[in-house]
Amino acid sequence: MQHRRTIRFLLGNELRELTDLDPTLTVLDWLRGAERRLGTKEGCAEGDCGACTVVVGRLVDGVVRYEAINACIRFLATLDGCQLLTVEHLKRPDGTLHPVQQAMVDCHGSQCGFCTPGFVMSLYALYRAEVASPGGVPDEQRIDDALAGNLCRCTGYAPIVAAAQQLRDRTTDHIDEALPTVTRALAALADDAVVETGRDGRRFLAPATVDQLADLVLANPEATIVSGATDVGLWVTKHQKVLPTVIYTGRVAGLARITNRGDALELGAGVTFTAAKAALGGLHPDLDELLRRVGAEQVRNAGTIGGNIANGSPIGDTPPALIALGASLTLRRGTQRRTLPLQDYFLAYGKQDRQSGEFVESVTVPKLGQGDLFAAYKISKRFDQDISALCACFLVTLGDDGLITRARLAYGGMAGTPKRAAAAEAALLGRPWDATAARDAKAALAQDFTPLSDWRASAAYRLAVAGNLLLKFQAESAPGAPATRVLVQRAQAFKAGCDIASRGVCNA
Amino acid sequence: MKFDTPAGTNPIDQLTVVGKPTDRIDGPLKTTGTAPYAYERHDVVAGQAYGHVLGAAIAKGRITRMDMADAQAAPGVITIVTAETAGPLGKGKWNTAKLLGGPDIQHYHQAVALVVAETFEQARDAASLIKVDYQAEPGAYDLAAAREGATEAKGEPDTGAGDFHSAFAAAPVQLDATYTTPDQSHAMMEPHASIAAWNGDKLTLWTANQMIRWGVKDVAQTLNIPEENIRLISPYIGGGFGGKLFVRSDALLAALGAKAAGRPVKVALHRPLIVNNTTHRPATIQRIRIGATKDGKITAIGHESWSGDLPDGKPETAVQQTRLLYAGANRLTAMRLAVLDLPEGNAMRAPGEAPGLMALEIAMDEMAEKLGMDPIQFRILNDTQVDPEKPGRPFSQRQLIACLQQGAERFGWARRKPTPASVREGRWLVGMGVAAGFRNNLVTKSAARVRLDGQGVVTVETDMTDIGTGTYTIIAQTAAETMGVPLDKVVVRLGDSRFPVSCGSGGQWGANNATAGVYAACMTLRQAVAQKLGFNATEPRFADGQVSSGGHAVPLALAAKDGEMAAEDGIEYADLHKRYQQSTFAGHFVEVGVDAATGEVRLRRMLAVCAAGRILNPKSARSQVIGAMTMGAGAALMEELAVDKRRGFFVNHDLAGYEVPAHADIPHQEVIFLDEVDPISSPMKAKGVGELGICGVGAAVANAIYNATGVRVRDYPITLDKLLDHLPEIA
Repeated sequence: MQHRRTIRFLLGNELRELTDLDPTLTVLDWLRGAERRLGTKEGCAEGDCGACTVVVGRLVDGVVRYEAINACIRFLATLDGCQLLTVEHLKRPDGTLHPVQQAMVDCHGSQCGFCTPGFVMSLYALYRAEVASPGGVPDEQRIDDALAGNLCRCTGYAPIVAAAQQLRDRTTDHIDEALPTVTRALAALADDAVVETGRDGRRFLAPATVDQLADLVLANPEATIVSGATDVGLWVTKHQKVLPTVIYTGRVAGLARITNRGDALELGAGVTFTAAKAALGGLHPDLDELLRRVGAEQVRNAGTIGGNIANGSPIGDTPPALIALGASLTLRRGTQRRTLPLQDYFLAYGKQDRQSGEFVESVTVPKLGQGDLFAAYKISKRFDQDISALCACFLVTLGDDGLITRARLAYGGMAGTPKRAAAAEAALLGRPWDATAARDAKAALAQDFTPLSDWRASAAYRLAVAGNLLLKFQAESAPGAPATRVLVQRAQAFKAGCDIASRGVCNA
Repeated sequence: MKFDTPAGTNPIDQLTVVGKPTDRIDGPLKTTGTAPYAYERHDVVAGQAYGHVLGAAIAKGRITRMDMADAQAAPGVITIVTAETAGPLGKGKWNTAKLLGGPDIQHYHQAVALVVAETFEQARDAASLIKVDYQAEPGAYDLAAAREGATEAKGEPDTGAGDFHSAFAAAPVQLDATYTTPDQSHAMMEPHASIAAWNGDKLTLWTANQMIRWGVKDVAQTLNIPEENIRLISPYIGGGFGGKLFVRSDALLAALGAKAAGRPVKVALHRPLIVNNTTHRPATIQRIRIGATKDGKITAIGHESWSGDLPDGKPETAVQQTRLLYAGANRLTAMRLAVLDLPEGNAMRAPGEAPGLMALEIAMDEMAEKLGMDPIQFRILNDTQVDPEKPGRPFSQRQLIACLQQGAERFGWARRKPTPASVREGRWLVGMGVAAGFRNNLVTKSAARVRLDGQGVVTVETDMTDIGTGTYTIIAQTAAETMGVPLDKVVVRLGDSRFPVSCGSGGQWGANNATAGVYAACMTLRQAVAQKLGFNATEPRFADGQVSSGGHAVPLALAAKDGEMAAEDGIEYADLHKRYQQSTFAGHFVEVGVDAATGEVRLRRMLAVCAAGRILNPKSARSQVIGAMTMGAGAALMEELAVDKRRGFFVNHDLAGYEVPAHADIPHQEVIFLDEVDPISSPMKAKGVGELGICGVGAAVANAIYNATGVRVRDYPITLDKLLDHLPEIA
């Protein structure tokens, strides 16, 4: 295996080649500490506030794709082969403000200013990806999604939304002008070598192929496997963990592939939430909505389905949905692969069925079929950018006679692992899907779960809502059911809000 | 300038610059990331070392031993500061707890050591190697449990009028209800940070501080050095909300660390330390009793509040607004303070009124329902134009009725169904709520220096701060208006203790007082300029960069052709604020949807109609109100520091656990300012507006939830678990 010991990336248009990097040095610490580029702020150092938002461009099928990420929990070495854009890159060479910055000034989108560079970069990512020329403007929902990962305690957000709405009729900016050069430069940086860096006996390894990854994990079974580092980053910044060896999956060719297998979708472990949303969202709108509420945009752009599963958290957002759908997991150890039902992977709190030297390679998600009813619910204290109090995903299959032939009721936040509700499922089988059946299943949940109380929710609340969601699912899947979703309600509110001409504070 | 009679017509009334929705002049700096915050001042002094603060791991007790050997031997470590090495320290006036603890520990995460090292990582790593043994003592951490032992706080006697108890007992309609508000955190985006550098016995602190003058005094008292040896610099502050009113441990420890290290030291409080190390808004228990006649006239109103703080601390003044907001001949307010060993309670945006109105304005809603009255009508019926405790004191301006009536019309209040839980859209239970907003306008002296150069550039210098509020911009507008120059001819320099002492930023007093001080300094400069240019006989006009009188006009810049002209002056208030009650008012309207199956609450619309004197800049004022409404929505629905009642600390001490509203939690918001000028308040005829938006809005949310569901929650925040058991059965 050939190892390259230089991390190479573009800072703006400028090539940086770095050696002997601390494996877990964050992008933010490098920017602010080594580079003294101070525009990017640290508000929390754990991916909650978005003040550190930067935009990373990476080459995907020959095109540079730009995405906002949190610099505070992203390891610098993972930027190998990428372009890094910070707030300092936006101003035009003649010193005038970028349209995104100008819109923030015009709309009073900045007050104390500490969150502002992060908002500016999230807006820039939105502008870059979604504002077409001429006349394009992202819709309100898209703006909300793009900004949900940035907290502001001053403005109340409305002026920032107004700034986003002002971004239309996009013209070519200096970053666009450099794109052909940047694309060539990034193409030139791509290679098949294992990238290695490190210091003080600690190592960062970034393989380029799945086989390299398999070999490295086998040879370094104690290594921490990192994809988006949206959780592992916190181990470092918050818990001060020292990770001796880090293996990064983000360069691995093919690991982020999504394959349509006819009756199922196969998602490589490196598929980000953002990419998964597009694919899984096609299976059912609730999956689109569930993935839309995983963390926030910065987290979804970095975090992966494989990481969300492998991590084993009882409140991971995707396992309940994948378990309900009957997904299977493929693990690889060296050249050996094994496949198991996803639900069997989660053994106990903090314990998964992953052997030494093994890694999650892919997850296969069956598509919904005839007679399948499905719903996914995430209940959290805050709507966006929050950890689930509980997550419930249901698949109920009705036979031709209208009786339930299959029930897969999967919950997160109700036990030490994502878990199916066996007793509640049993209460449904062979019965018509009506309110009585849902009530009986609700009653049976008490046999399935003894949830914890914490500050997100009390045990009693969790159990009550777990059951109520079954009632809600039943009510919603009945013929002629009314629209009941937050998403729908918000959209309606925006339309109905005409007597309160609201967010347009630009022309105050 | 002494302000002792109501303001007559003055240059501000021209409103050519003041009153316009000017973009903030610091906008370009902030959107490009080039506004320098305290921790980023690498440019100001060479050789900065990094300090990392270690917080106490117990809430109450003593340090019995500190083993520093491993930390001292760790790579890069320069020095370690503890209470033992620091020598005797005083305590600033504004802190209840010491900023550097040990051997006695007063609260969890009280700073016990600062490790100074060559790099941040080295300092942080070494701090984790300090071994501290504690002798923990039992403490009091539960307000409800400590309530019985609470006592009257020093300087906060009960107030009242008439005979509350008899009148309440005799009232045909009575309400007696108890409400609670939780501990809350400022959660400003910029963590507290300071850089300290000594030059001999002179200390410079680059820090994030709202009140420069207070900060200088506190640092001087703590370090036992003369005030004139201290310079505080704080031109850009990443939010404060009261959390940066007083210097905190970062500033003190940076100073001590720099002294010990013999070189400059920078210290930031890391986010998980901030909640327990600094201050918070204390929790309250509030009992409200209202008695009224059957036709809705309040005859008795009583508001008692219990809160807790460290020994020698202060109460949360949650009864403040109840002394002034509604009529009623028989009145009582009382505050009781319990000793708690939680971190220090102190001011957070609208201390007193914010939590007080969260309770009072639910009580008013409940009472209106008991009376079978519309809650707006009930408030209007009990309006008062004088201080009800001292009827000889009229309000300088009071447009609460107009706020409520205009708001009702604008919001579509007539469409509200008075019977709770009677509007459904699918599974959504929909409701509307209203509450009055109220916050006092505080006047305090404020000074500035104004300089004019040969190019006609006017430079304003004052130790006033801009914590995101828009101070730079409104001060520039004030100077431009008064001196008759365009905005781009004004330079504003803030946040330096070498500048004249201002009112500082807090209590929504900043805008009115600071601009009045700048106005005063400009008027003094005008006199000097007029004299210099030979306009002795008449009061000349300053406009368009010219000074003119009769047919004679001279460029302003000419006055400084032989050298800069400068004037220093300030505003000082006589007794108008004693003779008149000065307050700001709002009507808050909220519409919510509540999921009948899960109890999830979604805000749908919010409207605030405000009467707050002259609005100096509608753009920045509106943003202040919207931001405060958002914070109030957070207080209503999610913000709560969870207390570990065994160990005595706030558990959710980061932004993942202490949830503030995110973007999509906040729906359509609108703000309307009523036309108002208040010549009693200052020559600016303005009042504060930065806190009004948070005052009352939480209760409007609560009342809307009640209207939607029929579930009356009296304990904030209104999370879904408190609603769920009481929601109507879903079909």
